[in-house]
Amino acid sequence: MPITFQKLTHEYNAGTPFSYLALDHIDLNLQEGKITAIIGETGSGKSTLVQHLNALLLPTEGSLKILDREISASEKPKHLKSLRKHVGLVFQFPEYQLFEETIAKDIAFGPKNFGASEEEALQRAKDVITLVGLDESYLERSPFELSGGQKRRVAIAGILAMDPDILVLDEPAAGLDPQGAKEMMELFVRLHTEFHKTIFIVTHDMEHVLRYCDEVVVMDHGHVKTTCSVSSFFQDPSILKEMGIHPPAVVSLRESLREVGFEIDASILTMEQLAQAVAKEVGHHE
Amino acid sequence: MEKIKLENLHFSYNQETPVIKNVSLSIEEGTYTTIIGHNGSGKSTIAKLMIGLLEAQSGSIIIDRLPLDEAHIHDIRNRIGIVFQNPDNQFIGATVADDIAFGLENHQVPSEQMQNIIETYAKKVSMSKFLNSEPTKLSGGQKQRVAIAGVLAMKPQIIIFDEATSMLDPQGKAEINALIQEIHREENLTMISITHDIEEVAHSDHVIVLDQGQIVMEGKPEDVLMHDQKLIELSLDIPNALKFQKELWKQGVKLSPCITMEKVVEEVCQLRFKN
Amino acid sequence: MNNIALGRYLPLDSCIHRLDPRAKIIALILMMVAIFLPAGWIGYALLGCAVLCLTVLAKLKMNFLWRSMKPMMFMLVFLLIINLFMLQNGTILFEIGSFPIYSDAVFQTLYITVRLMLMIILTTVLTATTKPLDLTLGIEHLLSPFKVIHLPAHEIAMMISIALRFIPTLIEETQRIMKAQASRGVDMEEGKLKEKIMSILSLIVPLFVSAFQHADDLANAMEARGYVPDRTRTRYKQLHMHIGDYVIFAICFLILGGLLVFLWI
Repeated sequence: MPITFQKLTHEYNAGTPFSYLALDHIDLNLQEGKITAIIGETGSGKSTLVQHLNALLLPTEGSLKILDREISASEKPKHLKSLRKHVGLVFQFPEYQLFEETIAKDIAFGPKNFGASEEEALQRAKDVITLVGLDESYLERSPFELSGGQKRRVAIAGILAMDPDILVLDEPAAGLDPQGAKEMMELFVRLHTEFHKTIFIVTHDMEHVLRYCDEVVVMDHGHVKTTCSVSSFFQDPSILKEMGIHPPAVVSLRESLREVGFEIDASILTMEQLAQAVAKEVGHHE
Repeated sequence: MEKIKLENLHFSYNQETPVIKNVSLSIEEGTYTTIIGHNGSGKSTIAKLMIGLLEAQSGSIIIDRLPLDEAHIHDIRNRIGIVFQNPDNQFIGATVADDIAFGLENHQVPSEQMQNIIETYAKKVSMSKFLNSEPTKLSGGQKQRVAIAGVLAMKPQIIIFDEATSMLDPQGKAEINALIQEIHREENLTMISITHDIEEVAHSDHVIVLDQGQIVMEGKPEDVLMHDQKLIELSLDIPNALKFQKELWKQGVKLSPCITMEKVVEEVCQLRFKN
Repeated sequence: MNNIALGRYLPLDSCIHRLDPRAKIIALILMMVAIFLPAGWIGYALLGCAVLCLTVLAKLKMNFLWRSMKPMMFMLVFLLIINLFMLQNGTILFEIGSFPIYSDAVFQTLYITVRLMLMIILTTVLTATTKPLDLTLGIEHLLSPFKVIHLPAHEIAMMISIALRFIPTLIEETQRIMKAQASRGVDMEEGKLKEKIMSILSLIVPLFVSAFQHADDLANAMEARGYVPDRTRTRYKQLHMHIGDYVIFAICFLILGGLLVFLWI
């Protein structure tokens, strides 16, 4: 069942001199069972959009259908907690939400809030800690002793322990080193392929969009500029240029080569294919 | 001339795990050096040691021929400026002008000269229009530009960028990287950039690779970055240009190794021309 | 958070805005003294007029002043109730059931209400017309004579200005952590006592952690830019007293002196 936004509008501080229209009559269909990237400049409404998915923000106009729920501006929604269990939202820099004495307790915090018993919650903690690439010996340690990257894994484990169907991540790789970022993104791919989670990732990193995502939603000044598959998105560099998005290396190299007269197909999206195309052309003249 | 010289430096926060192990390095005046390494390799610790925010357990630091000790620390801080990672946590003033003024006030620049200096450096980082803006009204990239103006206004001889772009969006990153390159071209400064951006490394004069508190590779980027296997072992990125060149080799196109995209395009064009 | 009026700076352009912060702070102190004189109803009418003129000059709206006074309403009602029980002197005005309401109780409360209102309005005028940074600069200048008794005037001012600078950042952070914990099923409003305590902990602990992180980074940034707490610094912002500032002094002295003379007679 798709997630449907219908004329959804969100205005911060509506009715005050500080009001700000963050989302302006959004119509959008998001498919379940995919990894979808949500991109756009800072302030384009990405974060506001994803915070509607678990009803942290409620529409000021229009409505949203997600799972078996409908949230609309016209009626006050009830039992938001049940929605939040099924839609796990990981904020930017989630390491700042850790607070418990031990990692086990911190991971168990979410499940317990959603009604799991102490034992169940701790069992969940055991299950997810290895999933995020740490071993069980970490469970009894304090989260504050860890490195930045490890803290982030624990924070994400805290959301995974709730066993959500949909996982929403706001810039999960920000501030990590290239290796840490790669491992983080591979974790989401694994959650998608092995555990069939629907995943939404807000990101600025086009290399990640190209390598790990299926679909892309482009936000621009509170509107949805375009939604399409990742492969078709990177075929047409004009929209990237128009929006000032720095393309992935392979796309910018492909375009530079096309500019200097190489006849390279615009659908090429890997270094390997690109090298083949160049070899063919260079070889032609031999 | 050697601008910065570290000898046999040892540092640890607690006694057990050393963060910096026997590091010796020297940096020539007027060069642009990049320091890379994965998180926790000790990059930022080295920067903090150089400006005396941390004190090494043993070894020596010599900056501009002055030993870094109690007697010279203020002199040395007059010569080194540093731009940190988090744009929010280094914005001290209530407005852009106040923030640029902060360092000048500390260095006891006469009040009547400040306005002029502030305007000059705000212009240099294209923030002239925002002199009276508060930090909450600025983007991350703009805040970093203010931080750079604040550092430049103090007329340092050395400037350190400690992952200055890592918390910025792509637009902010591009802005700050362009500004760093511009400063490198126009000012006669010794520059050190601690970074994860392998493409930035490719454009620097000298690169130092750290792993577990030790220097594991050092030299010109075109030499260091060629060791792609070693870089992968250290969980570092390799330049995209080099990735492409490897793929071309697999296809039988013998392109000489290069580390920047501009160079790759140029070489491929020449190859086509020759054939 | 945007509805708080008390202590908020309003970026308008008025002659009060342009006054030197030192003049405004001293004027406020003088007027406060005047308010605490037992001036009687005529005195308060006079003061009221002066304060009214001031708010008009500062271009402040009545609605804004009312909002800044609202938080005091609860206190005043509470005070009235206490007075009704405690002060049983004077004439009986009327009775509610068999409970007598004495004139003293009502007048005492009214008296305090008028004093509080005048004080709040004056303070609001100061904070609404003076940038926080100018205010701290003014405080620093006024405190500097006390350096002879080792009062760290500059450090106090630096602390205040940094606190003011980081309030918006910390508010933003609080909102983000609250949302992050809400995503983990925290419900700040409902739940048993134990759950509520956990909810509050889940907000407070991360907030402290991040505040310490800010403080640590900031201290490094300040030190790296050559800040040494007890060393002399020059100042970018200079304060200058103009004719208008002296006029304000004169008016405040006249009001205070007038009231004193009036009381003497």
